[in-house]
Amino acid sequence: MRKQLLIFSFSALIILLLLSCGTKSERKSNKILYWSSNNTQEIDFAAYIVNEWNKQNNPGKITFQPVPEGQSSEEIILAAVVGKTTPDVYSNMWQGDVEDYARAGVLVALDTLKGFLNFIYSRCDSASISEVTSPDGHIYQIPWKINPIMLMYNKHIVSGMGLKEPPANYGQFNFASEKFKEENIDSHGYVKRWFGYSEVLVTWWQRFFDFYPLYLAASNGAPLIKDYKAAFDNKYAVEVFSFLRNLYEHNYFAKERLSARQDVFLSDIIASRFTGPWEILHADKFKPQGFDYGFTHMPVPDEHKGPVYTYGDPKNIVMFKTCSNPQLAWDFIRFMIDKKNDLKLLELTNQLPRRKGLMSDPVFAEYFIKNPKMIEFAEQSEYVRGTDPYPNLTEVFDIISQEYEECVIYGKKSPEEAVHEAARQVNLLYIK
Amino acid sequence: MKTKKLIPYFLVAPYIAHFLLFVAFPVVFSVILTFHQWNIISPMKYIGLANYTRLFQDKFFSQSLANTLIFLAIHIPLQIIIALLLAEALNQKIKFRGFFRAAFFLPVIVSGVVVTILWQQLYGFDTGLFNKILTALGLGRIGWLVDPSWAMPSIAIMATWKNVGLYIILFLVGLQTVPAHYYEAADLEGATHWQKFFRITLPMINPTIFMVVVLSTIGGFSLFIEPYVMTGGGPLNSTLSAVLYIYKQGFFYYHMGYSATLGLFFALLILSVVAIQKKFIEKDK
Repeated sequence: MRKQLLIFSFSALIILLLLSCGTKSERKSNKILYWSSNNTQEIDFAAYIVNEWNKQNNPGKITFQPVPEGQSSEEIILAAVVGKTTPDVYSNMWQGDVEDYARAGVLVALDTLKGFLNFIYSRCDSASISEVTSPDGHIYQIPWKINPIMLMYNKHIVSGMGLKEPPANYGQFNFASEKFKEENIDSHGYVKRWFGYSEVLVTWWQRFFDFYPLYLAASNGAPLIKDYKAAFDNKYAVEVFSFLRNLYEHNYFAKERLSARQDVFLSDIIASRFTGPWEILHADKFKPQGFDYGFTHMPVPDEHKGPVYTYGDPKNIVMFKTCSNPQLAWDFIRFMIDKKNDLKLLELTNQLPRRKGLMSDPVFAEYFIKNPKMIEFAEQSEYVRGTDPYPNLTEVFDIISQEYEECVIYGKKSPEEAVHEAARQVNLLYIK
Repeated sequence: MKTKKLIPYFLVAPYIAHFLLFVAFPVVFSVILTFHQWNIISPMKYIGLANYTRLFQDKFFSQSLANTLIFLAIHIPLQIIIALLLAEALNQKIKFRGFFRAAFFLPVIVSGVVVTILWQQLYGFDTGLFNKILTALGLGRIGWLVDPSWAMPSIAIMATWKNVGLYIILFLVGLQTVPAHYYEAADLEGATHWQKFFRITLPMINPTIFMVVVLSTIGGFSLFIEPYVMTGGGPLNSTLSAVLYIYKQGFFYYHMGYSATLGLFFALLILSVVAIQKKFIEKDK
């Protein structure tokens, strides 16, 4: 009896273990699983879209869930790729990761789907399309939304210093910073408030909020990488390094980390920061009474001519090869990013769809009347860049970060030396 | 009879399964990884000893090892001296002894991340409490976390504050095992307090001291949370610990093969250091 009981328990355990492991074959060919971002606004958007789609088509075909919680969504996607548990559609893919996944053969080449090319050319300008075209000639991602990085500034501080406009170029930025410092330094030499702030972390993605948008602004949107070589060993990168180095050298920017305490911008500790439109919801919710702020383009070299570009922080849509019905998935994506639903995205999330003619299209006009702070971002959206379609971008930005720290924060290298060394290491990276 | 023989195997089966799945397999797999290039999403590529060659030429890894040794050189003596002195004090019949014992142990149970964020505020260059005190005393400010020569000592001081409570308890246990009649005999001979401490207490708690050294060494080698949260390895890589570097290679750049090589090398290094320490302990016995 006891033997039978043991055998029964052991068998039950094994069966339970086997049942707990899902298999790919469980996914039906007429069902699509969509993973959205896991912030509240985007979950609301995903719920709305899926609901609308299922109402208009056969019910229950699309299911969605927010990307599971983790240290970062990038990590979760990687884990899903490794475990072959990827969704069919994912809508929050950082552009810089796509090339690595495309090379690993886990993404569907979207340009092979019926109607894709016509759609993409009607939605996006040629610059956006070439930015997402892989070196192998295929397109593995759909440009969906952007959050351009701009200069957010405290209007009262800027006008209080006698400035009619926020600083637009390096000279004006330095002038304003010096003036602000003079007003906020005590007898012991303590600077109590700074004109600007950017995290001094060497973490690679931190450069999306200082060096990279400034580089794009200075260079009219020039690439960092071209033909598997560093394309930034030029005067623009040197100018950006020099500009930033000057800010830290003169204590216009704090060298210490201020991020662990209350919002330093809303509490008047800093007068400006480089950031994106996501700040609007936060600032409007938590700003003290009478606090007013605005956005303007990234500072540029004094002699700069032409439009001012910036980093758009693009998040794109991809389809994984685990998808058993790519055509159905594509139909759903096309529905999700049509004009009407792009407006919904704007209304629910305050994130800009990456489509041409955003400001001139009457469909979006009412939104911008209701949300005037978004106008600056919408105008800027004509002049944004994402990342270049090359692999190993994390390492590229890490190399730049290392040199950035040595030169900009600690002044151990000249801007020319630092930029040149970063370019040399990036070139070595692509030779390997 | 047969069933009786099977029962022990059945009872240890969950542990064996756990061991094989979560200990033996990862260890064997990571050794295999050291001979491969693998970014998780693409197939593994055999590269022979290239990861090992790279390890010995990697200036960042050498720097991270040097940083870890600097941390250990500051942290271990500081921790032992402070823990021993406090344990000696808390072993006396003083008022509120129970409260002090609990108070010194409190940081040990507080989350490392919370402690790190708190100390980050204290160490602030322009706004931190420590520099405010220094300035009030007419002294110059210290770049606790922004000056490359101060950053690692600052982390070592913080780590000592965080962990010292645990070692106070260990020393207290050691101190309470010293037979009281040794002190009584010394009192009859007219020994001073310090003579008793150096001639009786220290030799008697030698095994505890070595245990604390071994535990601190292993703990110190695994330095990760503090630089990860406080400095990210900066300034100028001065707080880049070996474990942080291994983590970065693995989970920032997905150099899994190289990360496994660094991990294996580092594990062997810790093993060697602990083996040497063990020799000392055995010699002492």
